[in-house]
Amino acid sequence: MTSILQREEIQEKISEIKDADILVGIPSYNNARTIGHVVKAVQIGIAKYFPDRKSVLVNSDGGSTDGTMEVVKNTTIDDSQSILLLHRVEPIYKIATPYHGIPGKGSAFRTIFEIASVLHVKACAVVDSDLRSITPEWIELLIKPVIEGNFDYVAPLYHRHKYDGTITNSIIYPLTRALYGKQVRQPIGGDFGFSGKLADFYLTKDVWETDVARYGIDIWMTTSAVANNFKIAQAFLGAKIHDPKDPGEDLSSMLYQVVGATFNLMETYSFMWKEIVQSEPVITCGFQYAVGLEPVSVNLERMIDKFKLGISELMGIWKGFLPEDIVHFLQKAGWLQKEEFIIPDNVWARIIYCFAIAAHKNLLNREHLLKSLTPLYLGKVASFVIQTLESSGQEVEEKIESLCISFEKEKDFLINNWD
Amino acid sequence: MSEFLRKLIVEPFDKFYEKVLHFLPMLLSSVLIFITGLALGLILKNIFLRIFRAVKLDKFSERSGLVELLHKGGIREPLSQIIARFIGWLTIISFLIVALNSLDLPAVEQILERFILYLPNIFVAAIILFLGYLLSNFFGRAALVASVNAGIKLSGLIGKIVKLSVFLLALTMALEQLGIGRGTIVIAFAIILGGVVLALAISFGLGGRDMAKDYLEKKIRGEEKKDDISHL
Repeated sequence: MTSILQREEIQEKISEIKDADILVGIPSYNNARTIGHVVKAVQIGIAKYFPDRKSVLVNSDGGSTDGTMEVVKNTTIDDSQSILLLHRVEPIYKIATPYHGIPGKGSAFRTIFEIASVLHVKACAVVDSDLRSITPEWIELLIKPVIEGNFDYVAPLYHRHKYDGTITNSIIYPLTRALYGKQVRQPIGGDFGFSGKLADFYLTKDVWETDVARYGIDIWMTTSAVANNFKIAQAFLGAKIHDPKDPGEDLSSMLYQVVGATFNLMETYSFMWKEIVQSEPVITCGFQYAVGLEPVSVNLERMIDKFKLGISELMGIWKGFLPEDIVHFLQKAGWLQKEEFIIPDNVWARIIYCFAIAAHKNLLNREHLLKSLTPLYLGKVASFVIQTLESSGQEVEEKIESLCISFEKEKDFLINNWD
Repeated sequence: MSEFLRKLIVEPFDKFYEKVLHFLPMLLSSVLIFITGLALGLILKNIFLRIFRAVKLDKFSERSGLVELLHKGGIREPLSQIIARFIGWLTIISFLIVALNSLDLPAVEQILERFILYLPNIFVAAIILFLGYLLSNFFGRAALVASVNAGIKLSGLIGKIVKLSVFLLALTMALEQLGIGRGTIVIAFAIILGGVVLALAISFGLGGRDMAKDYLEKKIRGEEKKDDISHL
């Protein structure tokens, strides 16, 4: 694949900038509605917290047709001078360019890494372009631990609505925590800080034609940083509120890419996770405070219906790799009423481990296997929603903690059945 | 009289004797070739069986899902044994053909020639059927998973229809390759497929009229409760 750096306008821009201290990347695709706010927050953040650092803002775009790149180019902070106490010394350079490769967030990130590498930046941050809750402080919180604390990777820590980020809460966080022993609460948060050294490391990996180029990028970045012993921290950013996702986005494809990328990483780092027996907390920067969150409406009946449909139609596929007791449990769960519907944490942990083992042993076509997880996942989300209908944010966190402990307890099952 | 008897009895007998004398060495060499083929077939089968076991072919076939496929087809033997046996039989059949050819009989030669010319068709048809079976399973399962994820109640039926259609297509192609009922099969397949599509169209049109109306009303009026969950 050709590098973005071969493009003439990028080369010109790079030779004009030469090198930089900080780079903030914003991947985008048709985000004209929200990206202006994100660009403004980033520019103010740089101006306010890093006034004497040479900084670059890179917008890596997936071919937007709604004028996203124009919004990026035209957004300035001239009208925000009242917020800034210090007068900025260094200018903020801006590069807005379409990326090359497979359409997806991962390809956008690759372009950001390439530019960071060629500019020899000390610290980078990437933030989503659909954020509505981003503030200039996010830039400080993601960049400062890298520049002043010598951390290589800063994962985000947000307050999210209890039903927001359900793939993270029910699969990715408990699984990566049990596997790699680090309690990174938002491993696929989407907004990260990292060192120039880590960006160079990412570029050495040949993963840009895989699911890492799409939704798999977040978990790949986090796991690669953890598994290769880079210095990790997490930064409390407050609330995460973003534009509603496109309803046309297919949940099963999302699961396939994210869970598939996580399972791929289990292959790569199997020598490491087999040795880890418990998890430890990660240093957290930033002052934690309570935030108000927008309510999220849930169609519980539809989720349970899809779970039951999966039980009646896909059991033939699952029977090939799920243990008998789990199959028996699922068959019984298919008849439960909404009020009594529950998938216990230990059963869920075993189900995920069985899917990981089946993927490792190639028992089934990978796409069919991972997409067949969708009804079970919806069942687990429904069970979680029923159990936490009246729960506060703190109680929900306790529930997720108990799920994580179940994943850690059941890890022996994974290790014993892996080979 | 004696001349007559000589011409009637002795000469044909002499000729037959000569022919038998001519044929016997060929028969003997043909039997020898066949026995050699039998022995070589057995030896090769055992050698290949050991090689396949040494390279752990059975483990690979388990991992790649081939064993699952063979089990579904009612075959319980390990893949290594199946391939080794196939090699053995291939050797024996090749030597049998050479043995029969060495008999130098025009009738046998003709049958052999036609059989050998037809062999590639059987081979290609078998490959088409095998690939068709694999593809029908693949597409059937893909359709099943996709329709379950889309929340379609008749997912099982959709999966089976897709699987059957792909296999029927492969079967038609295989029979076409074998030259069996050329035009008839294609026409029959087209009629069946057309019939199924028409039947589905009519049944959905009549049976699903109210459902479609409800669905559109819900969509337009926004009665269906929305899900705001952000999964990532």
